[in-house]
Amino acid sequence: MKQLRAELLKIRSTRTTTGLLVGLIALALLFTILTCTLSPISQLLTEREQANVLSFGSVAGVFAALAGIMLFTSEYRFGTIRPTSLFNADRNRLFTAKFIAGMLSGLIFGVIGEGIVLSVGVGIFKLRGVGLVMSGANVTELIVGAVIGTALWGAIGVGIGAVVPNQVGAVISLLAWGFVVENLVFGFLPTIGRFLPVHAADAMMGSIQDKQLPGDVGVLVVVAWALTLAVVGLALLRRRDVT
Amino acid sequence: MTYVIESASLSKRYGDVLAVDDLSFNIEAGTITGFLGPNGAGKSTTLRMLLGLAKPTLGHATIFGKPYGELDEPALRVGAVLEATDFHPGRSGRDHLRMLSRAVGLPDQRADDVLELVELQEAARRRVKGYSLGMRQRLGLASALLGDPDLLVLDEPANGLDPEGVRWLRDFLRDFASRGRTVLISSHVLAEIAQTVDRVLIINHGRLITESTLEELTARVGGVVRVQSTKPDQLALALHREGIATSRPNDHTLLAQGTTRERVGDIALAEGIAIHELLTEGSSLEEVFLDLTSEVVAP
Repeated sequence: MKQLRAELLKIRSTRTTTGLLVGLIALALLFTILTCTLSPISQLLTEREQANVLSFGSVAGVFAALAGIMLFTSEYRFGTIRPTSLFNADRNRLFTAKFIAGMLSGLIFGVIGEGIVLSVGVGIFKLRGVGLVMSGANVTELIVGAVIGTALWGAIGVGIGAVVPNQVGAVISLLAWGFVVENLVFGFLPTIGRFLPVHAADAMMGSIQDKQLPGDVGVLVVVAWALTLAVVGLALLRRRDVT
Repeated sequence: MTYVIESASLSKRYGDVLAVDDLSFNIEAGTITGFLGPNGAGKSTTLRMLLGLAKPTLGHATIFGKPYGELDEPALRVGAVLEATDFHPGRSGRDHLRMLSRAVGLPDQRADDVLELVELQEAARRRVKGYSLGMRQRLGLASALLGDPDLLVLDEPANGLDPEGVRWLRDFLRDFASRGRTVLISSHVLAEIAQTVDRVLIINHGRLITESTLEELTARVGGVVRVQSTKPDQLALALHREGIATSRPNDHTLLAQGTTRERVGDIALAEGIAIHELLTEGSSLEEVFLDLTSEVVAP
């Protein structure tokens, strides 16, 4: 708990998190305003079409993962891993605190990201005379899936940062995986690709694409990814010298 | 005797490089010990092993009788600074200290207290990227003092400090040790810490070269003690009886070879001989240090 308080202060006390939040808000607003205003009304009438637009809040997962990555990599980049490790010599406790801090910050990113997309998107629908056809249950699944998915992406980011302590390497790995590798695998081998974290997290928000996992299975798959990275990251953290 | 730090056959190998080689030493409570050696001698690696940041390849080290990581809240007993640059440049000095305080359950007020102690309160809320090297050294020291520790471990704390900063550090450490606390301070320049430390550990190529007080060190490598007395003949005889060779540059002066001022003073006192001058001569400490560390040691 003490280390968690320290980690939460770390997140708040630099401009990195603010920068990521500003980036998320700008991107969510830009996408939602452009998509909802420029798309022909005929393409916004079905539940699937509306869910496609309103699920863009899941982009918060990228920002949450980046924030999670920073929790470890900035410690190595700026050398603060030394005082951090001296003040908390228990690597298990240190990792757990960062993992929870990553999830909590991801939760906030998720609420903000999906909150903006949903409120602005539905507002523009109304202005254009498009009624929301998504059921209450589906909207709830969209919101809960986006928020929990983003929180889990925060945790995944912490795991990636622990595995790849080099900041540039970790960020490039995340972006290359999320935007290139996963899409290629899902495109060519969807039966495998749907078990990869980005597509499993998308599945948590309801059936947006064909060939995706059911939402509840998606949750389990993303949790499994987060835990796997955590186990590997913790093992490396315990083994690696702090130089 | 219980030692604050005990290092037993500590070794660290990185691939083909043996950075620390069978290093054993003990540090007593209430002392300021200089941990000396040229760059690359293995000082930082040794300190990291003492502090649980690096695992020894062989041997072990304890602080207050336990490995660092097994101490209950080690930061409340040991304060350490390993690099002057261990700060996020975008975080304020105060937030850096608050973050560390929280990790060990200390109130935020403690951060303000140590900032005042190192005379950095004016810059507390500024981002560290605007700090000079001297200010960063002080902030590092402040972080080490957060837990009000009994032991300070400082790696090259005088690096980049101006003479005033070195003097401030010396006074600070003297005051710290005067309250029965212990300091282990590393440096690659003996002169930087010669006026601060009680004793020295000198390493080179990862091996312990010597462990002694500064005065013993000087004497061991050819230092002489100049002594003026009204009874130089009687004193010379007494010194010879103790196996100390002397020479006589003038009527009232003796030069005692390879000994210390304390030893000559004690012998003179035992003989009831008055002494008018007693000082150590010979090689400068820096020459001694360079002489010791320039010896080629097979890796």
